Amino acid sequence: MSGHEHMDCQEALDRLYEFLDGELTPDAATAIREHLEACAGCVGLYDFERAYLRFLEARTRTVGAPAHVRRRILHDLFGEEAQTE
Amino acid sequence: MYRTALRLTGEPPDAEDLVQETMLKAYRAWDRYERGTNAKAWLLTILRNSYINKYRRAKSRPHTVDVDEIEPFTVFHDVADTDPEGTFFSRIIDDRVTTAIDALPDEFREVLILSDVEDLSYADISRTVGVPVGTVKSRLFRARQQLQKRLYDYAVEAGYVRPRSEGHP
Repeated sequence: MSGHEHMDCQEALDRLYEFLDGELTPDAATAIREHLEACAGCVGLYDFERAYLRFLEARTRTVGAPAHVRRRILHDLFGEEAQTE
Repeated sequence: MYRTALRLTGEPPDAEDLVQETMLKAYRAWDRYERGTNAKAWLLTILRNSYINKYRRAKSRPHTVDVDEIEPFTVFHDVADTDPEGTFFSRIIDDRVTTAIDALPDEFREVLILSDVEDLSYADISRTVGVPVGTVKSRLFRARQQLQKRLYDYAVEAGYVRPRSEGHP
């Protein structure tokens, strides 16, 4: 892919989450990395946003289904014998 | 599944019912699951459809703005001088985070949950929600930025971070 050599900061901002989520093609991801090597401002932004996404993950993936919900579902699906663990 | 149900419905009893209903529906529809596709995304699609049928209609939040027109806004530039690594986030308590997520418009909340809680790919989110991948990208971007702004406003209010203007008297 050509045309990425002169990526500007706006484009780097637009593709920020696609890059951090691993959704870009290898070529597009390389273009971002090259831009970041040359642009301290965007490095700061990317680091900040990466920290933000890690924070979101850490805070939203902690709750699990209560044990009684699991039991209820197993009971509905597989009958009485599943109710006792 | 339960986490997503909880963030969609906002209430543990509703989340429990929603997960139970989803699992029963999935069990009955197992022959319609396409082998090789993402099973979690399939379950979440059933969960989302059940949620829409049962809860979203009942809640029916009024829509005053077109969510896809909301301009994204990163708070990075406001904290670049005072807290560029975003350490203030870690001081925000869990309740504040979930309250802020719950306050997002439905279209934003569901893509944010499917991505950040369930770790689905954009393609799987697109199939689950039934919108093009481009719409997923744009909604996820706006959802994360809107949530970030709310968390930042709270952090400023709570004194966890100094807004930029105070740094330049």
